[in-house]
Amino acid sequence: MRRDTRALVKAAFATVLGVLCVPLAGSEAHARPAYNPYPSGILPANLDSEITRVRNEVQTIFGRYFSEYQALTPTLTYSGNPPILVPNGYDAQRILGGLLNFDENMSPFHTEACSFCHMPYAAFSGPIQSVNLTMIAYPGSAHYRAAKRTAQRYTYSHTFPVLNYDPVQGLFFGGNFWDGRATGMKLQAPDAEQAQGPPVDPLEMGFPDIACIAWRLSQASYRPLFELVWGTDFDINWPSNTEKVCSTPNGAFGSNTTPVALSAVDRTKATNIYDHWGESLSFLERSPDISPFNSKFDWYLKNPSLYPLTADEMAGYKLFNGKGNCNSCHLDGRSTTLTPGETDTGNTADVQPLFTCHGFANEGLPLNPRIALFYENKPDPYGFTPNPDGLRYRDLGLGNFLRSGPQSFPDPNQPEWLSLAPSVDGQMQVMTARDVALTPPQCPTTEAGTGKPYFQKEFFHNGYIKSLKQLVHFYNTRDTSYAYPVTSGHCPAGTVERVTCWPQPEVKNNLDMTTGALGLTDTEENQIVAFLETLTDGYNPANPTVSTYKNIDTFTGQCSITTPGETASNQGDKTLIPTWNLAQFPCATDICGVPPLPTTPIP
Amino acid sequence: MNGLLVKLAIAAAAGSLLYSSPIGAQMPPPQKENQLPPPAKRAAHVEILNGPALEIAHDGIAIIRWTTNNPGGDDDHYAVAHYGTDPKDLSQTAKNHIRLNRGHADTIFRVLMQGLKPDTTYYYKVTSMGAGGRSDGEESSVNRFTTPAPGQVTSAHPPPE
Repeated sequence: MRRDTRALVKAAFATVLGVLCVPLAGSEAHARPAYNPYPSGILPANLDSEITRVRNEVQTIFGRYFSEYQALTPTLTYSGNPPILVPNGYDAQRILGGLLNFDENMSPFHTEACSFCHMPYAAFSGPIQSVNLTMIAYPGSAHYRAAKRTAQRYTYSHTFPVLNYDPVQGLFFGGNFWDGRATGMKLQAPDAEQAQGPPVDPLEMGFPDIACIAWRLSQASYRPLFELVWGTDFDINWPSNTEKVCSTPNGAFGSNTTPVALSAVDRTKATNIYDHWGESLSFLERSPDISPFNSKFDWYLKNPSLYPLTADEMAGYKLFNGKGNCNSCHLDGRSTTLTPGETDTGNTADVQPLFTCHGFANEGLPLNPRIALFYENKPDPYGFTPNPDGLRYRDLGLGNFLRSGPQSFPDPNQPEWLSLAPSVDGQMQVMTARDVALTPPQCPTTEAGTGKPYFQKEFFHNGYIKSLKQLVHFYNTRDTSYAYPVTSGHCPAGTVERVTCWPQPEVKNNLDMTTGALGLTDTEENQIVAFLETLTDGYNPANPTVSTYKNIDTFTGQCSITTPGETASNQGDKTLIPTWNLAQFPCATDICGVPPLPTTPIP
Repeated sequence: MNGLLVKLAIAAAAGSLLYSSPIGAQMPPPQKENQLPPPAKRAAHVEILNGPALEIAHDGIAIIRWTTNNPGGDDDHYAVAHYGTDPKDLSQTAKNHIRLNRGHADTIFRVLMQGLKPDTTYYYKVTSMGAGGRSDGEESSVNRFTTPAPGQVTSAHPPPE
């Protein structure tokens, strides 16, 4: 115990120095060559200042976790057999996860933490409104590489099981990431393996080697906490060029995934540290810091009489379960029926409803030509070409992962799963509906035209949808006479894209037809939006206007203000751009030409 | 240094207090409309209750819709249409995912046919199956629809105004 106490004191001292040594946000953003293969307007004009803002916010939250770390009791120790970290091991693990999540040193230039793309006030999704409108994916450490999809919310990601194929149901369940590629096979926790992706994704944080995480952790001010929680052996014989290698973005070493030259024993130690990194982040995600199960709807479930929904929210809930059929995939843990006029006298089936089936579906979103990845087909200053397929890239989601296609991971169960790829082309993970409406307190809605300042989010895997109204309207009318055989940016004159015109799906195969012509009225659409807003965590019935969601107070940017004529229906229309001619740039052969081929050709 | 640590600890403690969520006793009164309907029972025998009928046709596509009682079984189902331009040769097949709602008494099936010719009469019959391949046991008689001229839309389910 004395040893632990000394270690914690040393750690505290080192942490103070560490925090003082955090480089000022933005101080080195322009010191390196920038990569800008994009047409005008893909990168938002305020990108650099917004990056600086988010970095400052990240550092603020890191400081808060650092303070929690310092406040940890010095008597933490292992007790019992098997040894258990007591008395507050949960806090230790949660705080460690927080430190890891908000530590900018976990990137080549010490500039990008995991949380840069996942901030609390956006339910741990994308924090930059202009990015949500323009480039969809977030800029990585190496400016301005960017990835291919929206930053997925962390909330409740820990509830997804290890990716598995249920042969009776004939369906895939689980995994993390939109395409399920973080299977959870090794760590038995998909979100732990999800956390292992971005640090070495060349388009995100971008370390060239997973050993760089162990290297930077070995120098971290909170290293003693990591050692305490995991009993980790940092005694690794690091090569003299380790920092130089780790300060070079992934992609600069060609196909070499281990440019940090380690002995086999040391490589194993570094890999174990990387695994524990993922596991600590998984614990953070399951903690109340991220997934607290305290939305207005949770209070309603606890006692509908004491904590009722408003009339519109309740109408929305009934539509969510009934005519809208939303809970066929976004399961609410209740048993319901379309039959009107009856009363529920049963018990709640699940008091922690997750609002997901943990499965996959192709909802038929149009190709979004704003996704940055399409334009990254030229080498960057490090000689890395993010997307050699350029405009021929298509997002087949789970199908692409099962084929171990580009922009994904290798499929670890190919002998069994490869043949199933055509049956899941176009499918993306069914995310929880929880916290879909969570925004910073000063911008209390996602919806323009409500008379309130709003926070511009982006929805679905490709960010095509810009408000919850549009989201519900899409489910409601995708297959009606609003459907046109055009691509985004080419809706016929007299129609309004996303209002009275839905362009064709990017992937028509395996289209989910549960929704698409629901027959909801405009008012009913709004009521479903009102219900979705009850799923926002941090609700305190004693003081409903003040959120208790942790670190939700950290947004320092400006809210969006509704402009004349703008509504939630046409929100974001000014940033629509025309899609290129798909026939001129058909789906790339390394995506659509890999056996087993898609059941019908992808345009 | 000890002083600094103490200050940081106090700051952290104060911060954690800010995040606590005490629940007061003042709560709104109960509302009658805050009640939910009870669960539905699954059908003992699956049958088509409504349709099948054309939902919409335009630009080389057509959607057929029908309603059955809840077939139960796999949460994911397929809506299946066998179709062709000759009522004796329904050799083309369209198949789409439908997610069952466990609580609903009825299930709406919808299937999308693609690559259709304009101004052409198509014949079809529909059925459904679980994602695991087990048939729900029901099958419609042969029906027909005619696709509209290029640029035209035939729709039985107009979107909201």
